[in-house]
Formats: sequence, C-alpha cells, structure tokens
Amino acid sequence: MINQILPFLSVAMASLSEEVLLVVKRVRQRKQDGTLYLMAERIAWGPEGKDRFTVSHLYADIRCQKISPDGKAKIQLQLVLHTGESTTFHFSNESTALKDRDVAKELLQQLLPKFKKKANKELEEKNRMLQEDPVLFQLYKDLVVSQVISAEEFWANRLSLNSVEHSLSNNNKQEVGISAAFLADIRPQTDGCNGLRYNLTTDIIESIFRTYPTVKQKYAENVPHNMTEKEFWTRFFQSHYFHRDRINTGLQDIFSECAKEDEKGLKSMVTQGVKNPMVDLLSLEDKTLDEGYGTATVPTTSNSSNKSLRENSNSAIIKRFNHHSAMVLAAGLRKAEAPSDQASETSSTDGNSRDSDLFQPPLKKVKLQEAIEYDDLQGDSVRKTISLNLKKSDRYSHGPIPLQSQHYSTSQDIINSISIIQHEMRSYKPRLTQVMSSSAASSAITALSPGGVLMQGGGQQTINQLVPTDVQSELKHLYTAAGELLRHFWSCFPVSTPFLEEKVVKMKSNLEKFQMTKLRPFQEKIQRQYLSTNLTGHLEEMLQAAYNKFQAWQTRRMMRKT
Amino acid sequence: MIPKLCYFLKLLVFIILNNLILKLKLNIDGLLVYFPYDYIYPEQYSYMLELKRTLDAKGHGVLEMPSGTGKTISLLSLIVAYQKAYPLEVTKLVYCSRTVPEIEKVFNIIYIFITHCIINSYFKIAFQIHFSSVKYLSFLALRFGKEVDGKCHSLTASYIRAQHHSNPSQPVCQFYEEFDAVGRQVPIPPGIYNLDDLKDFGRRKGWCPYFLARYAILHANIVVYSYHYLLDPKIADLVSKELAKKSVVVFDEAHNIDNVCIDSMSVNITRRTLDRCQTNVETLQNTISRIKETDAAKLREEYSRLVEGLKEANVARETDMYLSNPVLPDEILQEAVPGSIRTAEHFVGFMKRFLEYLKARLRIHHVVQESAPQFLKDIYEKVCIDRKPLRFCAERLRSLLRTLEIADIADFSAITLISHFATLVSTYSKGFTIIIEPFEDRTPTIANPVLHFSCMDPSIAIKPVFGRFQSVIITSGTLSPLDIYPRILDFRPVTVASFTMTLARTCLCPLIVGRGNDQVAMTSKFETREDFAVIRNYGNLLLEMSAIVPDGIVAFFTSYIYMENIVASWYEQGILENIQRNKLIFIETQDAAETSMALEKYQEACENGRGAILLSVARGKVSEGIDFVHHYGRAVIMFGVPYVYTQSRILKARLEYLRDQFQIRENDFLTFDAMRHAAQCVGRAIRGKTDYGLMIFADKRYARADKRGKLPRWIQEHLTDGSLNLTIDETVQLGKHFLRQMAQPFRQEDQLGLSLLTLEQLQSEDMLQKIAQIAQQA
Repeated sequence: MINQILPFLSVAMASLSEEVLLVVKRVRQRKQDGTLYLMAERIAWGPEGKDRFTVSHLYADIRCQKISPDGKAKIQLQLVLHTGESTTFHFSNESTALKDRDVAKELLQQLLPKFKKKANKELEEKNRMLQEDPVLFQLYKDLVVSQVISAEEFWANRLSLNSVEHSLSNNNKQEVGISAAFLADIRPQTDGCNGLRYNLTTDIIESIFRTYPTVKQKYAENVPHNMTEKEFWTRFFQSHYFHRDRINTGLQDIFSECAKEDEKGLKSMVTQGVKNPMVDLLSLEDKTLDEGYGTATVPTTSNSSNKSLRENSNSAIIKRFNHHSAMVLAAGLRKAEAPSDQASETSSTDGNSRDSDLFQPPLKKVKLQEAIEYDDLQGDSVRKTISLNLKKSDRYSHGPIPLQSQHYSTSQDIINSISIIQHEMRSYKPRLTQVMSSSAASSAITALSPGGVLMQGGGQQTINQLVPTDVQSELKHLYTAAGELLRHFWSCFPVSTPFLEEKVVKMKSNLEKFQMTKLRPFQEKIQRQYLSTNLTGHLEEMLQAAYNKFQAWQTRRMMRKT
Repeated sequence: MIPKLCYFLKLLVFIILNNLILKLKLNIDGLLVYFPYDYIYPEQYSYMLELKRTLDAKGHGVLEMPSGTGKTISLLSLIVAYQKAYPLEVTKLVYCSRTVPEIEKVFNIIYIFITHCIINSYFKIAFQIHFSSVKYLSFLALRFGKEVDGKCHSLTASYIRAQHHSNPSQPVCQFYEEFDAVGRQVPIPPGIYNLDDLKDFGRRKGWCPYFLARYAILHANIVVYSYHYLLDPKIADLVSKELAKKSVVVFDEAHNIDNVCIDSMSVNITRRTLDRCQTNVETLQNTISRIKETDAAKLREEYSRLVEGLKEANVARETDMYLSNPVLPDEILQEAVPGSIRTAEHFVGFMKRFLEYLKARLRIHHVVQESAPQFLKDIYEKVCIDRKPLRFCAERLRSLLRTLEIADIADFSAITLISHFATLVSTYSKGFTIIIEPFEDRTPTIANPVLHFSCMDPSIAIKPVFGRFQSVIITSGTLSPLDIYPRILDFRPVTVASFTMTLARTCLCPLIVGRGNDQVAMTSKFETREDFAVIRNYGNLLLEMSAIVPDGIVAFFTSYIYMENIVASWYEQGILENIQRNKLIFIETQDAAETSMALEKYQEACENGRGAILLSVARGKVSEGIDFVHHYGRAVIMFGVPYVYTQSRILKARLEYLRDQFQIRENDFLTFDAMRHAAQCVGRAIRGKTDYGLMIFADKRYARADKRGKLPRWIQEHLTDGSLNLTIDETVQLGKHFLRQMAQPFRQEDQLGLSLLTLEQLQSEDMLQKIAQIAQQA
C-alpha cells in the first residue's frame, strides 16, 4: 500500500534527483516520527512534515546493519558506520512494523555489499598496513591520535606509495600452469547411439591453445568463416592429431599441418641442444673407439621399413609424450619468463651492467661446482659467497680517489707488490721464541675484555645500560615520529607549487606542535629522573635544522615578493 | 697506493688463514695428509687407511665405497701426500674415469685440493686430458675427430715435413713446427692444466696442444684421463707407453671395467666395411703402380728396410702414428716381416686374397661360431694364407701407408680395421671367438651379415696394466660382490674392502615390491613379462608413487623394447593419463640428443616444483652417466631385474668361456651383471649424506638371497626382512612415512660425531675402534 504512493513522494521531494528504492513511513529516530528513504546510493531519514533529511548516510559509509531480535517489543534497525557511530531506527507502525523492517533489511542486505567492496578497499588497506607494521601504528598513534597531523595528511603519501606496489602485485598474479593431463580430462562418453560425447570446458580449450599454439592458429584461421566452432572441435577429436599413436595423418586433415609443425618444433628443440652440459649425453663419452671396434652391436641403419608397425607406433607415443610434457612445461614458463627477460634487458641497456654480467661464472662451472661440493664437510667458516654485482668495476677497484692526486699505481705495481707479499708470506716464520706463553696471553685477554681488571672505571657506558627501557622505547617512538614529520617537511622542498607552500607552512607548525606537545614533556620527564639531558639533543638539532631551512626559505620568499 | 695495498694484504691474509688454519691435517698411519675440508666422514678415514696399506704393499686394491662419500677427494689427498712423503716410491698418479663429466669433476676436485694447500705447493703439473677432443683444437674449424686426425696427419707427417724442407711452399702445421723446435726443451710452468688451459697455453706459445699434451703427460704428477688411454692397446701405445712404472693407477667408476677391456679388443666386420676396404685396396694398388713409375727407389728402400727387420726405422716420428698395433706390446713379434708380404704389390695381393676370403665367409646363410685356430686352419686350407704374415698385417700396412705418403689416413679406416683383425686373430689363440651371423635375430628375412671377432676375456687387455704399474686401484660405488672382479680380471689384490656409509639418519630406503594389490606376483621374468596383470601392477605402482613422492621420480626398465611395450600398454589402459595428473612424463629414447632434451626438461620440471617422472633404461646412457641428486630423484623404481639379453651369441660364448676358464657359473655371472646394473641405477639417486631417496626394486626375484646378497653392502644393510615382499599399498605406506621423516630439517649438528667428524672426534679412541669396523674385508 505504501509502495504505491512512492512515486508521488519522490516527486514531492523536490531536492531529490536520485532514484528512490523504498520508502517506509512511520519510522522513529531519536523519538521523532519520520520517514525512511532507501535510495540508490544512500539511506536517509526525514522527520515528519519537513522536506529535508536530518539523517543521511552513504551506503559506502555503513559497516553493517543490526536488527532487534524477534519477539522484542521495539522493532528496530541499527546502522553501524565505519566511523563507529550508529543510527537506530525504530519502526513504529504497529500493524506492519515487522514487515517494514524486514523489507528494509532485505534491501539493505542487497545494497550494502556492492558498496562495501568499493569503499572498504582503501580502508582495509589502511587497516592492514597499520596491523602489519607496528612502527607505523605507533607513528599513527603518536601523530594522528594525538592530533599533531590529520589522518589525511598522514596517509597522503603513504597510500600512494603503497598503492603502486599493490596494483603491481595485483597485476602480477601468479600464472596458473596447465595440468599435464588436460587431454585426459576430456573423457569421451558414449551417448548411446554409436557416437562419442566430448566435454570441453573453456579451461580445457585454453589449455589446448596454450600448449599447442599451432592448434590455436588453425582455430583462428578456420573459425568462424570456414566452419563453426563445434565443427572445428569435432574435427580435432576425429583427427589423428588428437590420438597420440598417429603415424600418418591424412592430407585432408586440417591438423596434419599441426602435426608437422610439432615435429619441426621437436626437431629444433633437439638440435638446439641442452644448456646444461652435465646432462648432455652426446658429450658424455670420450669416444675413442672407431667404427667397427668394440662389442656393442652397431645399430644397423634403423630405417623404418626394418621395424614393425607396432614398434613404430610405440616410439611415436614416446615421442609424443616427451613433446607434450615439454610443451606443457614451456606453456607454464612462457608467461613467467617474459618480465624477467625484460628486466635483464633493461639492466643491460644502461650500459654499465655488462661488467656484472662478466662476473657471472659460466653455467658449466657452476654445475660442476655443485656436483663436487660437500656442504656438510665444509665448516661454517666458509660462508656462501655472494657474487659481487658491480655496476662500474673500475670505480670499485680504484676507489674514490681525490681528484688532485695524479699518482696512479699501475697494475704492474700492484702485481709486483702482491708477489712480494706472497713471497714474504711464504717465507714467513713466526719467531716462536719471542712470543709470550699462552697462559700470559689468555690472562691479558681476560684483563682486556669487558669486566676485566683493565676495563673497569672510566669506561664509557653505553646508553642502553644507563637509561631504563621504558624511556628508551619512548625515545625510539619520538625518533620515528619526528622522522616521519621531518620526512613530510623535507619532501616539500623544493617548494614549487602553491600547494607545497601551503603544506610546508603547515608542516612547520606541525613540527612546532610536536616539539611542544611531545618533546618538551619528555625532556621534563628525563630531568625529573635526573638522567643525562643530552638524550634529546640530536632530536632538537634535527628540528632546528628544519626551522632554519624554513626560515631561510621564508626570507627568500619575502625578498622575492618585495 | 697505501689503502690499495692494505686491501690486497687483507685479502691475502684472509685467504691464507682460511686455508691454513681451518683445514684438517690427518695422521693416516704415520703419513701426514692434508684434507681440504673442515670435517671428515669416518669412512673416508677408513678408506684412506686401506689405500695407504695398498700403496705400502706396492700391490693392487679393490675398494668399494658408496658414491657421495667423497671417494675421489680421499683418494687424491692420500696419494698426493704419499707422493710427497715418498717421492721415489710413487712418482705419478694416473687417474682414469669413465665419462667426460666424471673426468671434469675429478679435475675440479684436484683444483680445490691444490688451491687449498697452496702453501705446501708440492705439485708440478696436473693434467686432465681427453684426447679425441685435444685433436680438435689444432683445427678448430673441423668438427669430426676423424677429419681432424686426417687433416692433422696431412700437415705433420714426417715426409710432408721433409718435403717442406726442400720446398717451403708445401704447407705444414705451424703449431707443430713450433712445438717441435722448442717445446720439448722449455719446461711447462707448474700448475693445473685442463684441456682449455692447455689450449690457451699452446695458443700463447704457438705450440700444438695435442703434441704438447702427449709430451706433458710424461712429466705431470697427476694425469686424469679416460680408460681407453690405458686399456686400448691401439691408443695406449701412443699415449701411455712411457709412463713410469712407479705410478699409481686408479680406475674410478670401475664397475664396468671388464666391458671396456673387452670392447677395446673386439672387432666387428660388416659387408659395408668390406666394400670400403675393397676401394681402399684398389686405391693402394693404383698408388703403388704410379709410384713405381715415378719413384721406384722408394719402394725398394722400404723393401730393404723390411728385410733388415727395421720395421720402425724412424720410430721417433711421433706424428706418423694414427692407430698403433692392436695387440698388446708383449705380443708384437720382434722380427723381420716375412718375405711373402715384403714387397708392396705382394702385400696388396695378400690383402686382396684375405678380403675375398672374408667376403666368402660372410656369404653364408647360417650362423657360424668358431675359435681363432679353427679360423686360421680354414683360411690356410681355402686360400693358403699363413699365420705368420697375418700377424704382421697391421705393421705392414702402416709401413706401406707411410711409404706411399698417403696423407689422408682417415679414408683408410676400413682396411686398417681389417688388418687389425688379421693381426688379432692370428696372435691370440685363446680368449677370443669368431661369430658370423648372416642376419639379425629379430629380422631373419633381411640379410645383414656381420662377423664378430669378440674378446671373451677382459684380463687380456688389462694384464699389461697390472703387470707394469706397481699399484692399481679399482674403485667404485658398486663393486659387489667384491671377489668377482679379481677373478674375471685375473689379478691378485692385496686389499679388497667394502665400506659402508655411516649415516646419522637412514637416508636411503630400499624396498622390494613383490606383489600388486591383487597379490599377483610382480616380475619381469621372461614368461610373465607380457602378462596383462604384471604390466597393470607396474603401472599402478608408478601411479601411486607419483602421488606421494615430491619432485622427481626416475624409473628404470630392463631393456628399451620392454619399456616401449609397457609404455604403449599403459597408454592404452589410461594409466599414463592418470600419472600425468600428478607429474609430467619424460621418456628416454634411443636418440641421444632427444634424450638429452628430455633430461633437461625433466630437471627443469623438478626445479620449478612441478615434478616429473623420467622413464629410462638400465644399461642405457642415462643410467650410466647421469646423477639424480636431491630433488632430481627422490625415488628410483627398478622395474624388473636388468638381465642382459641372454640370447645373444656373443654373451653365450663369453659365459662359456667364463665357466671353462674361471669356474664362474653362467647364472652367477648373469646375476652379478644384472645386480651391478640394478645397483648402479638405484644408486643414482643417493649422492651424499644430505641427500635422500626411496629405492624401489619392483620384482619379487630381488627378495631371493642370491640376488639380494649381490647388492652393495651399503644398500643391503638397510634392507630389512620386513621389506622383502611388499604389496603396492604397503610400499606406499612405508614410502610416505620415510619421505615425511626425511623432509624434516637436517643440520650439520645432527651428523656431527656420528657420520661427520672433527679432528678431535677422529682422534678419540672409541671412534677409531668404530672406524675399524667400517671397512669389511672380503
């Protein structure tokens, strides 16, 4: 009944241009009677007799809805917002209250999820970041909760930083490989009248295309202008191509070409040879026996006429399996390899990276090394070395040398000096008579180690021994907070836009606020505890540096203006 | 300047400290041995003790130690230390290994070893050589060994060089000339040279690396090369003839050494060989008649030289040798070439007759098997060829080829082969057999006659090695049963020992699967191997294992044909499809390049976590040369017992010979042979103590004592009575349990004191007692 008057009402609400989905009359909010409107993007409530809404929430802001349990006297619906606020509606139309509420609830139920996805992403993201990163959380507490800077400012360059990364990881979702048995999954079923039914899913088709690009090509050529899709697949299954024990395919078969292509692919794969020399069976033997020597029966010219048909088809199956597995493997790797290839290309185009390529040991050496290594015989002392990745090797070997010094030592000098050292080391003999006894040495070492006789008194004690841990952690927080603020501050330079100008001024005031509200109380606390006051010296220096910078900038701006 | 120097100094000190302080110095029975690691396995210590004993006794040894326990490094450390301590007793280490990667590995270990002991540099030179490749170097453009050999010969042969003297436009090899002029006088700087290093060195000096290498072998302290350079008389004569008697020879991976010996003495002749030989003879004839017109003096000179018995008047001309005499040095007759083949024409006529006789022999329609004396008798009766001229065939041909100044020797490989056959068959009356087969057994309709002149007795080829060198060590991961090697190679070792692998956790799990879930016996026995149920059970086993084993599984079949058949029927039954759900499948083929590709893809699939299965063949190339470390092989399945194809006549003849001469029963030898290959296959997966893997023997016959007892001790001792006749389900359960246990983190501390020792632990009394039990004397 109410629904019927709905259009009129929506017209009556002149200010409203949105579509109204549901109107419920006689809904109380804060003990006031009114009408509840569910619109395309928001929910709103206006008190009786007025043509404006006193309550209006976007669906996106709503976290959830709650309803009063059945049997309760008051029939209510509560909306909880992300901010934590909530609004409660009381359905007060005696006869239809329950029904009204349920209708509203149902509709909300449908609407909310749609908006939730959109809106919550950002919020969830923020939430996630705070949860994952305790330092950030502490920072957030220090700066935002204590209202040094606003939440928007805090997130302003955090999110942008992160969203790039995030979107990247989204795009780079791991490729799903292909099941090796995808052809087996097409279980042919007899359909009762002397035919076979093949079940093809899009996944399987995708797999076929990815594994056998030639079939995809055929498909592109023939479908839809030569035949329908159904016809294509029917032919595919009829073709000997599908049956792996094929030996010869008829000429009229459109897939005979695919078979030939495959054959060619296999051959090229074989002729390409293997990269890993340890699995290269061709170079396995140091072949010294000439033809005709030895007992091994020389494989007589194995022309196919020699073999029976069955043997031929058997070896065809084996070939097909090898090929199929190789193709499946390749299809899985194809996507994954593309970006890495690109990366290597870009790295090599910047000119200097050739050096680092040169330092990579050749594959053969690596494989040999792997084959002869015994990790467990090796002590811990031999750490895994990381190959030095140099962009500019000459800079590394010469080091930063002051420009004025013109005196370079030639490589010959270096080699000479090495050989001298080598020579000396070889003939080095410890003068064992003049070393002190081991007991004397060990007592000297104990005397010199912390806590020993010689180490007492006057030694500088480190900060973590002097300061209680709670103060330490507080100091750490202060440092991170100050760091964050300063980062914001310094990121404004060079100040090129009015927006940045505005921001720099704001950040300056933020810094001052921080110094007043956070740093000062901390300093006072330290003084109260009679700790060395120099703890915050560095912090103050940093802030002072920022102020100085600000001052300099401001005076220059004034100068320019005048 | 100063900071740079400091930097180098620091680096240097660091390296020296690292080497000096941290590595072990062991006391092996009074010998100071530097060991380039911080820790040592107990069995390595034990191995070194036994080795020391062998060297002390100046005798030969047979030592079995599982792969992955650092056999090579122990060998090297000890022998090198011995060399240093007693430089007059042991002058040289000759290390022979089988495959090229294996040789390269050994070489790299030497490298590590020597760089770690840099301060005590007591090395002159170590060499790694494999010859066929060395020859490639001088002519980088050519790819095939034969072509290179021919080309090389055409530039360096003595007469070419002589011609060059009179006629400078005659091209010669600059590299060789340079080497010949100065190379022998200039000492090679101490160091470690592998093939590439030698090539570089040669290029810098402008010396031919091939001849440089041949020369350097004589002076090196350590030489690493492949078996053939010692065992094949044709090559050994060129390369290893002058090696000092006081050398220690090590044959690593020696489980197949008997086959290498036999191969080096055997010859096969087909109709194609004879046809090519025919053209060779014709060429010879033409050349002779041409030379007779132009330069008859040359032939006369050769004749008179032969009369005087100066077969090798200009022996020193090293470049003229292409392949040396095929028989062993002590069998070569030291007398003049008989008159009947002294003149060139007579010899060519003689070869023609011999060729015609062979052709006639190949024309038969039934299989003939005869001994060498029978053959000689027949040839005497039919074409009146005596034994003595036959023995000189190889020598005579070489002389003729040199006299005729035929540069491109590669073309004459067929006639060389025939002459070698002639010399061999007339020299050895025992230990060889001749089998003429008119067709292959599988294709009885297609005529393809082959004459197999086949060596039955591996001891013939290896005898001079044992006789000449004071210590020969035969070692491998799988030599069980140990007593059979001394018997078939006919030598008296002073030490025969098998070492187990001390383990902190049982990282290998041998299981014998005898039945399917339906209780049908699983076996590759000839009568039942085509049985549907057996094939299905094998398939189910693989399927179940593919579901529980992570990463790589390697499965070995008994023969290639058997594998083809099984794969086909698995395909028809849809078993392969189901396996594909779990892992990718790669299959070994008869084509080596294709298999290499499959192998690489297999490793790729294991590497990226997808997991794969490699179906392969025992006795194939994969089983002999490729290791499946860590995730490349978490399980090995051996389908059936890999017996050799017993219907082969050559094998039958060999078995007969073994029975008659060495009192080894046919069955014993066959089982021994099958089990050594099975052990090789399953051993491929365990390459070290941190590795782990399942070893599944899928044949009920493995459970029998005669089979099981022939497995290496380090496998046998983990084979419990409870795992001798399992069903597939039980296997899966045990495998699952094992894999889960093994997947737990395994740290060095877990091993320390048990299977990994520091110096202090090694020196403790009870550890030494424990170590004494590791070696089991056979």
